Amino acid sequence: MSARKEANAIVAIAARDLLVLRRDWKANLAFSFFFPIAFLGLFGGLIGQNLAGGLPFNFLQFAFVGLVACMMAQYTMMNVTTLVQERETGFTQEIFVAPVSRFSIISGKILGGSAAGLLEITPFFVVAWAFGAPLSSALVSGILWVTPFALLLGGAMGVLLSGIFATSPKAVDQAVIMVMFPQMFLSGAVIPISHSSGVLEVLVRLMPATYLVDLMRTAAYRGTSVYGPLQLYAPWVDFVVLLAVSAAFFVAGTLLFASRERNR
Amino acid sequence: MRQNDPPPVIEVRGLVKRYRDSDRPAVDSLDMTVRGGEFVALLGPNGAGKTTTLSILTTSLNKTAGEVRVAGYDLDTHAKEIRARIGIIFQSPSLDLRLTAEENLRFHASLYGIYGYRPTFRLMPRAYRDQVLTLARLLGIEGDLCHRVEKFSGGMRRKLEIVRSLMHHPKVLFLDEPTQGLDPVSRQSLWSYLRQVQKEEGTTVFLTTHYIEEAEGADRVFIVAKGRLLTEGTPETLKVQIADRYLLLDAVDRDQLVRDLDGLTVTTGEDGLLKVAFDGATPQGLLARITVPLTVLRIHVPSLEEAYIELVGREEAETAAG
Repeated sequence: MSARKEANAIVAIAARDLLVLRRDWKANLAFSFFFPIAFLGLFGGLIGQNLAGGLPFNFLQFAFVGLVACMMAQYTMMNVTTLVQERETGFTQEIFVAPVSRFSIISGKILGGSAAGLLEITPFFVVAWAFGAPLSSALVSGILWVTPFALLLGGAMGVLLSGIFATSPKAVDQAVIMVMFPQMFLSGAVIPISHSSGVLEVLVRLMPATYLVDLMRTAAYRGTSVYGPLQLYAPWVDFVVLLAVSAAFFVAGTLLFASRERNR
Repeated sequence: MRQNDPPPVIEVRGLVKRYRDSDRPAVDSLDMTVRGGEFVALLGPNGAGKTTTLSILTTSLNKTAGEVRVAGYDLDTHAKEIRARIGIIFQSPSLDLRLTAEENLRFHASLYGIYGYRPTFRLMPRAYRDQVLTLARLLGIEGDLCHRVEKFSGGMRRKLEIVRSLMHHPKVLFLDEPTQGLDPVSRQSLWSYLRQVQKEEGTTVFLTTHYIEEAEGADRVFIVAKGRLLTEGTPETLKVQIADRYLLLDAVDRDQLVRDLDGLTVTTGEDGLLKVAFDGATPQGLLARITVPLTVLRIHVPSLEEAYIELVGREEAETAAG
């Protein structure tokens, strides 16, 4: 099959994910407001008002950037793992017997999952604005610059989980939750982690989302007085780690998924 | 193979599939050849290895051993080429219920590279729109194209799956127990449509089923049990080869009738009637020996079901005997 046909298949797979998202838009819309309200508005807002008085930065804004980075990746991850859930409905069979490379199928799922993830993340902006987080154009543009990395990492994590739990939709659901919460708390998305030590420091460094959150904060706060203190690693470190981890997860996940589909 | 026979589209030699954690192979040394344009049925009881065989032939399951060629391509080296040339109807429906019928077709057409993907039906190429409308008209689902598939009946979903699997004009159409859960009317219309496709497009149809009446309509039947091929042939040949052909007779003077049949194997059959096998002979030749007036004369024409039960029963008995 030519590269054009492969590209066409990728677009079709991605477009289908968006169609499905649109079909269930009421439920999706309600769900997409739950996280920003709970974690940013309520949790972040309360910490900001009651515990973060002495911080040299606006805590709500800090949490907003971190949560956007983290949740963008998590949403994409969840969307990609629908590949396993669709086994139950038999729909995955239709995709996997098509004359399309396995990498194109996974790429289509990542593209669709990313596009859906982008739509699902917009309520965070609404909630941040409603709860009074300062949203400057420089901050938003910084977020947008790092967005592709968030989508890439989320997609790759989704592919890896789909590969590991290819035959069990229930297990993949549980794995998503088990990956999601440690990533959110240990990546520094909501709670600052620059002074972590011991086991926690090791765990922080092991979380791929740590480098994503750090890169997004670096991009969002560049040129401001808090740019230096909030930065954990040099941007090139974040960049290299994210690309390496995403590539490794993508390749390993795709090979695992394809092999588990056929090797029973 | 005779000189005028179409070339084989499915060639299977020594196919073995052993699942992990299984003590016996699901498919055991299977050999089969299917020629272009044939309608073949893989018939067997549950657990015979039908779905496993079909999954291997359609590239969705790895084999343990053996050689397989489909549509002229080797399964090990050209799986993608095979996928482009086959259509599949899975045992469990593989439609996206949240999409409309047309969206399911559009997705398939784009996935197979027949047409470039466009976000709406109207934006799709004219050739696609014409093909979809023609197929929908043929199956009587024209008015339902824009409806979500979740609202469709089981029969309509199956029809839609068949339409979808034929959009890329496959050389071989694989059907894995496609009529399971369908009402008789839907089954009937599905078969007549498949027959039409086979005739008009020369598509090879490969069916797995445990419904004997479905296999009866096939050009050739492969009977499998416990992963092994027990026999193959046309339904007619199998009936003759496997099941007994016999007459059931009775007469007022039964003793004379028995004397007339002297030298033949006479047993007691259904309803206490005399059962006389006529394998290798004609009923006429047998009847010519009878001098007494008959009160009952029944010619037993074996069905494929009897042949199947006989064969599978024999196999089970042999397995039980060790």
